[in-house]
Amino acid sequence: MSNWTPVAVLAVALGGALCVALLEQVVQGARIAPLALLRGAAATLDAPLTTPHRPDAWLYHLAPPLLLVAAVVTVATVPWAPGFRGIDLSTGVILFAAALAYVTPAVFMAGWGGGSPLAVLGAFRFLALMLAYAMPLAMVLTSVAAPAESLRPAAIVDVQATVPMIVSQPLAFALFVPSAMAVALLAPFDLAHARTEMGGGAFRHYTGVHAGLIALAQRMLVLGVAGMTAALFLSGWHGPVLPPAAWMVLKTAIVAALMLYAGRVLPRPPLDWLLAWAWKAAIPAAIGVIVWAALVTLLFY
Amino acid sequence: MSDLATALVFWPAAAFMLVTALYVFRTSSMARAGLLLLAALGIEGLIFLALASEFLGVLLLLMMSGEMVIMVFFMVMFMADPGGLMGMDMTHDKRRSAGAAVAVTAALAALALATDWPAAVMDDGGRGSRGSGRDVQQIGFEIMGRSMFTFLFAGVTILFAMVGGILLAKEGGRLGLPTPASEPRDHGAQEA
Repeated sequence: MSNWTPVAVLAVALGGALCVALLEQVVQGARIAPLALLRGAAATLDAPLTTPHRPDAWLYHLAPPLLLVAAVVTVATVPWAPGFRGIDLSTGVILFAAALAYVTPAVFMAGWGGGSPLAVLGAFRFLALMLAYAMPLAMVLTSVAAPAESLRPAAIVDVQATVPMIVSQPLAFALFVPSAMAVALLAPFDLAHARTEMGGGAFRHYTGVHAGLIALAQRMLVLGVAGMTAALFLSGWHGPVLPPAAWMVLKTAIVAALMLYAGRVLPRPPLDWLLAWAWKAAIPAAIGVIVWAALVTLLFY
Repeated sequence: MSDLATALVFWPAAAFMLVTALYVFRTSSMARAGLLLLAALGIEGLIFLALASEFLGVLLLLMMSGEMVIMVFFMVMFMADPGGLMGMDMTHDKRRSAGAAVAVTAALAALALATDWPAAVMDDGGRGSRGSGRDVQQIGFEIMGRSMFTFLFAGVTILFAMVGGILLAKEGGRLGLPTPASEPRDHGAQEA
């Protein structure tokens, strides 16, 4: 790790978050307007902070920074290019899951600290969702680590030089994408904080810098999750002609755009439907994915 | 990291961890207690990372987040005063429990000091060599070898506890009051 690594990671996270915000405009069919985006951000930051008069207001104030830290670490674990070292641990995939795991307490702290009925309801909705979706996510991560015989994301990219993981483990991909979208607070899994249904839910009282931090963290989460999907399943930086980093950017952008587009066109399912599918279908399927991964690894790798 | 840097991280973090752990028992709110415990255990995970025990540190960070959130969920569900607004005292049988806590702490501390710990397995910090996942490998052999029975026993015990917790959460709850008509018997039946 050189002294510039933290700067590089923050630059990737901030620049990527801006790109995700622009991508949102594209997906919404609006004109791409970076200046309007910045003006909106400035207006958000200009508003004064709100403090709920509740015993747990300190949780409310801690939630946005925690969410942002989780998002930055998520982005830092993604292998963006062969030489790029964000947080390059030999257990990087677990660190990715660990960083995402802190989104749940952050959302819970936001809702519980906010204290109003819809905020607390949003917090508990997210808790229920995450208890159901964290398991398939973690299990799928072990299944893609098996062929690489490594928990290091860069090693998992390298093992896909010939066959991308989406081909050898399609069911793992099908389980990973919705769970990752749910953790990244993306529609249609935004039952905890949807504007239309919950009036902002767990995040409904945030204004000013708080709201800015949460909006930034959400874009960074999309970036991290889309980047990790590209790295773990779409063979990351491997590709002809273009330089490796360009392939990674391209794949991440496509995955992020598809995720955002899914949020635009799919209806928001009811909570009990989502939970029933998670517990009764996704978790048993994830066990099957691990068995499949073991078979594939033994036979072909 | 150098010894000095490790020490500079370790001691303040350890002190902060103990303070958050102490406040777990000073608060009467279930949500606050669970989140403070998460803070304490999360700091412990960061200490493991600072001590170059990468796998255990990351695993602790991952597992504790999930587990403490589940604990908050269950405590808010079961307790009569989840928000701590009525100032309910959560400690019981104070003298004996304090005595037991002191005895167990002393025993564990003595054990920690008496144990002949292996020298630190310092790898290259994960810079691409094949040997850098060695602690992961060692833990894997430990779990699948000598300690397998321990882990299986713990796993099955936890499974029983989870099933028991769900049974308690059903129907009349922890007080065992039958509520035949007040709520639907089975939420699954509504979907069919």
